[in-house]
Amino acid sequence: MSDLKYAYYPGCSLHASAGEYDLSTRELFKKLDIGLTEIPDWFCCGATPAHNVDELLSLSLCAKNLELADAVEGDVAVACASCFSRLKFTQHILEENPAKRKQVEQAIDAPVKLDGKVKHLLEILAKDLGLEKLAASVNKPLAGLKVACYYGCLLTRPTDVPNLDCPEAPTIMERVIEAAGAETVAWSHRLECCGANFTLSRPGVVIQLTNAILDSAKAAGADCIMVGCPLCHGNLDIRQKEIEGVYQTSYNLPVFYLTQLVGLSVGLGADKLGLDAMIVNPTPLLKEKQLL
Amino acid sequence: MNSKKKMIISQETMDVDFVRKVEALSDTSVRRCFQCGKCSAGCPMATFMEHPPNRVVRLLQLGQWQRILAGRSIWYCASCETCSTRCPNKVHLASIMDALRKLSWDAEGPSKESYVQLANKLFLQNIRTYGRQYEMRLAAVFNVKSGQFLKDMMLGPKLFAKGKLKMFHSKNKNLAEIEKIFSRIEDMRKKGEAL
Repeated sequence: MSDLKYAYYPGCSLHASAGEYDLSTRELFKKLDIGLTEIPDWFCCGATPAHNVDELLSLSLCAKNLELADAVEGDVAVACASCFSRLKFTQHILEENPAKRKQVEQAIDAPVKLDGKVKHLLEILAKDLGLEKLAASVNKPLAGLKVACYYGCLLTRPTDVPNLDCPEAPTIMERVIEAAGAETVAWSHRLECCGANFTLSRPGVVIQLTNAILDSAKAAGADCIMVGCPLCHGNLDIRQKEIEGVYQTSYNLPVFYLTQLVGLSVGLGADKLGLDAMIVNPTPLLKEKQLL
Repeated sequence: MNSKKKMIISQETMDVDFVRKVEALSDTSVRRCFQCGKCSAGCPMATFMEHPPNRVVRLLQLGQWQRILAGRSIWYCASCETCSTRCPNKVHLASIMDALRKLSWDAEGPSKESYVQLANKLFLQNIRTYGRQYEMRLAAVFNVKSGQFLKDMMLGPKLFAKGKLKMFHSKNKNLAEIEKIFSRIEDMRKKGEAL
């Protein structure tokens, strides 16, 4: 086994609507010989609803999760962009603001642990493992597949907190998937918001915003979209048919998690990537490109 | 001009205490904003708001917070962080929005937007009761409580067939510890130790 070991924080969606992201992450890491141990008893980070109305609660939930993560060897590996953003924000705010830190320590009745590094899966593949090693593991390059890399909001914004890549012109997703042999397209909406959790309260908002994203990817000539967030995935994939109906158009753009596409390139089969869980069927595209 | 739209500003109408509270909660300065409008230009949700982001800050600078809390703007912010990223004067507007929502939430303010607040409330209740989110439960309870029984009904069977909705779910083993976090925060607020 390589030296890379991580404490895995899957987040709630990966245990439900984004099961294929969880499955493909575990299988990909196994294949790349990267250790992944799920943090026992992790709980919800509070996501957007918690910080929206109660920052102290949001910080406390994340601080407690970081404490649980501290008991597992390795940096924290996070799959969901929202969990990633919340955990990193918590570390940042508690380091910068002693008054808030004191309140959080009172709420969790323990000193906060801020030493551990929180990393998104993209960061682990691009930086810790490294693009060269990743490229060396590829045995089925995604040749001819044109991918629109969709960052959404929380992987890169704002400027000083997640620090994954440049907030206005990131390239980390493109670099990862190009290492897997795919082509990437230049498109206008890769950083625009999909409406995220308005999918529950105000789906009309999501339909409008997500339509613009799908439209832009299609116009740029993409075959598919790649994401690193279960909420973006839900909006782009699950609601795609509905959006096509509302706007009387056809996109037929499969929406992959980054771990599914990278997994495909290192030789993992469809059953280990959860391709059958995708709503927009990717099989015709992958067969056409001779990737299945 | 419609007289109802006139804004009268005087020492009496300005509530500076409220602005100070927002600044303390958000750890950012409301006063630094010089109204360049870059936040509203990049805001994906501005079209859904009656006051776009830069105007929310301007109203706040003028102490007119009741106008903000009475509207739907703060609840239509998606927390995408575009405004905070692009502000040339380092006003963390996304955090100001958080602070405003919290103060509105606490006051059970007369907002026009109730669906977003209901969704937030159910989301937080789920953490307290189960430790994690269970999307099917969240969506089902939301539909019942908001009276939209048929919302997204067409998606249900498809998601179920794809294994994306789970009928059964377990509770976290450390639920007692999670409950303690919620109750300690409530205690701290009762004693005035936290906002």
